[in-house]
Amino acid sequence: MAETIIKRRGWEIAIAATVVLYLLPLLGMDLKTYLTLTIAGLAMGMMLFLVSSGLSLIFGLMDVINFAHGVCFAWGAYVAFSTFTYFDNLVQANSIFLNLLVFFMAIVAAMVVVGIVGVIVERVLVRRVYGSHLFQILITFGGMVVLTELIRIVWSPNDEVMPVPMTFRGNWDLFDIIVLKYPIIAIAVGLLVFGVMQFVLKKTKVGKIVRAGVEDPDMVQAMGHNVFFFFTAVFAAGAGLAAVGGLAMAIFNQQVYPDMGDAYLIFAFIVVIIGGLGSITGSLVGALIVGLSYNYVAYLLPPLAVGVNILIMVIILLIRPTGLFAAGK
Amino acid sequence: MPEQTPVQMVRKEETIKRYRSWPFFLKIAVLALFVLVPFLFPSFKTLDLALKIMIFAALTASFDILLGYTGILSFGHVMFFGIGAYSVALLVGKYGDPTYFNLMLGFVLAVGITTALALLISFLSLRVKAIFFAMVTLAIAEFAIILATKLSGFTGGEDGIIMSMPGVFKVSYSAGSLMGLDITGRVVTYYTILLVCLGLFMLMARFIASPLGRVLQAIRDNEPRAEAIGYKTFVFKSFSICFGCLVSTILGGLYAMWVGYANPESVLGIPIMLDVLLMVIIGGMGTLYGALAGASFLKIAHTFLPDLQNLTQSLLPNAHLLHTAMERWLLIFGILFILVVFFFPKGIIGSVQEAINQRKNTRTLGI
Repeated sequence: MAETIIKRRGWEIAIAATVVLYLLPLLGMDLKTYLTLTIAGLAMGMMLFLVSSGLSLIFGLMDVINFAHGVCFAWGAYVAFSTFTYFDNLVQANSIFLNLLVFFMAIVAAMVVVGIVGVIVERVLVRRVYGSHLFQILITFGGMVVLTELIRIVWSPNDEVMPVPMTFRGNWDLFDIIVLKYPIIAIAVGLLVFGVMQFVLKKTKVGKIVRAGVEDPDMVQAMGHNVFFFFTAVFAAGAGLAAVGGLAMAIFNQQVYPDMGDAYLIFAFIVVIIGGLGSITGSLVGALIVGLSYNYVAYLLPPLAVGVNILIMVIILLIRPTGLFAAGK
Repeated sequence: MPEQTPVQMVRKEETIKRYRSWPFFLKIAVLALFVLVPFLFPSFKTLDLALKIMIFAALTASFDILLGYTGILSFGHVMFFGIGAYSVALLVGKYGDPTYFNLMLGFVLAVGITTALALLISFLSLRVKAIFFAMVTLAIAEFAIILATKLSGFTGGEDGIIMSMPGVFKVSYSAGSLMGLDITGRVVTYYTILLVCLGLFMLMARFIASPLGRVLQAIRDNEPRAEAIGYKTFVFKSFSICFGCLVSTILGGLYAMWVGYANPESVLGIPIMLDVLLMVIIGGMGTLYGALAGASFLKIAHTFLPDLQNLTQSLLPNAHLLHTAMERWLLIFGILFILVVFFFPKGIIGSVQEAINQRKNTRTLGI
């Protein structure tokens, strides 16, 4: 009896339990703090989604775990940092139009530069070791170290303060609840990217080929599409998405530092393990879970903030070892 | 003497052969070198270098049991090293007096924590895919670094814990001199650690050659087949992980004994993990003694890299880009790592072994 209820109403129960669980932190804080933390958590979740969706898609399509993904995140942040310092007058201008212009310029620059980095990494490093997980991990780990050191050489080994566009600063005051402006923008960007990705994957021919590639790359190759070209393209796109995530996170934290990729790579791993490798929706759900729990716990018990995410990952691994929305393999 | 069966005779012959072959002499020579280092080069720098080579060789060998002999990649291996170092440092340096009892207790504690944690991690991540193991261990290792840095009341934060050793291991201990060598606490510690490392190395060699080790290698080569033959691969893998991590944690304790401190940068960080990976790859995966070659190469490179930097600075004073690149030694090691993985995947010892086997084969074939 109980089993059938769980089977029939499994998703409803899971969602209800999650909602209840996420109301629990209310016991330790007042409503205003809770709402502020929730918005910050959603924003962080969206940025994590940008990083982990690329990771997840690369794994789904190419069966490659890219340890150099975190460093693409850091590269994106640094490219945006350079763009912002170069167009300082646009950043400092008190006009929403000019600010958005420089913001999108930074996004495009980050995506292009890091996309090229992604192509190089795929062509030079990953291409030679398809099929062997062990060597893939080793090679991309080496790539991560080299790219992190390149950041230190190209920019500087020290922390830098990331400028925030003028109109993105400050907050709105809604019925005594202080809502920071920037997290709302970050959430919007994240949702936009999610929408675009879903559209491309579900409605276009390229998306169809990529989804087919996730299921069976050999068959796609046999049907006359050069699957290796799509490998490179998805790798570059994943790196570009990570770059956008890095840019958004750098503005959010108002700083950039060479090692920033490492910490978020760990988050991205936790997200994809929770969400299931190869699924975009899984990445979104996983990222929101991780972002929210991180922010609540960081407020209540600061040193355990990462620990709670590892705990969630452990629970998910126990209940559903392939993740919530595992695809294909 | 009773009559011997043919099998016994062949075995005896093999044993004699083994003790007269050149790899055996080479091992003895290396051991003799380590024993003689304090007599030949009494300077602290050389002693420190020799000891770090020893510890890292054993650490790399224990990592190789996972990577080269079982086919599991763990990014948390250095974390267990750190657990050993911190357990000893906490009990001897922070929450207790430097006594032998506390030192032993530190090791026992480290072994206990490591066993529990290694079992937990393998239980969680090995059930699904081996690839999860790398990701989960990296996450947990990062968490350990964060804990060690943030819980500064308990672990001393970035600065770590400084301690002094009990009795004969104390730096200021002195017991006269022997054949021109001052027997100080350093020298006593050196020989103790040498002895333990030798013991661990022999244990690991025995572990690899045991029936259990054979099963692990079978799992590495073809896991579905090993499972089909009837081995519970999950149990064997967990056992291998536990064994490797235990060796690692004991080495961590020894390392803390030698340097007299434990901080996140020296015993937990990602750069150390990279070092260990590089040592395994350079020495050769799946060759226990390759670890020694890799560790010697890398540690010597670490020691003489500053000199190399000064040399390039004096030879080419205008090549600024080169100097920045030289200062970032991690970059050099990263590139070296990638190149070795691509073009030299068997490492030093692996390549040498292959060459010898080839020669042997051609000789037996009479070509």
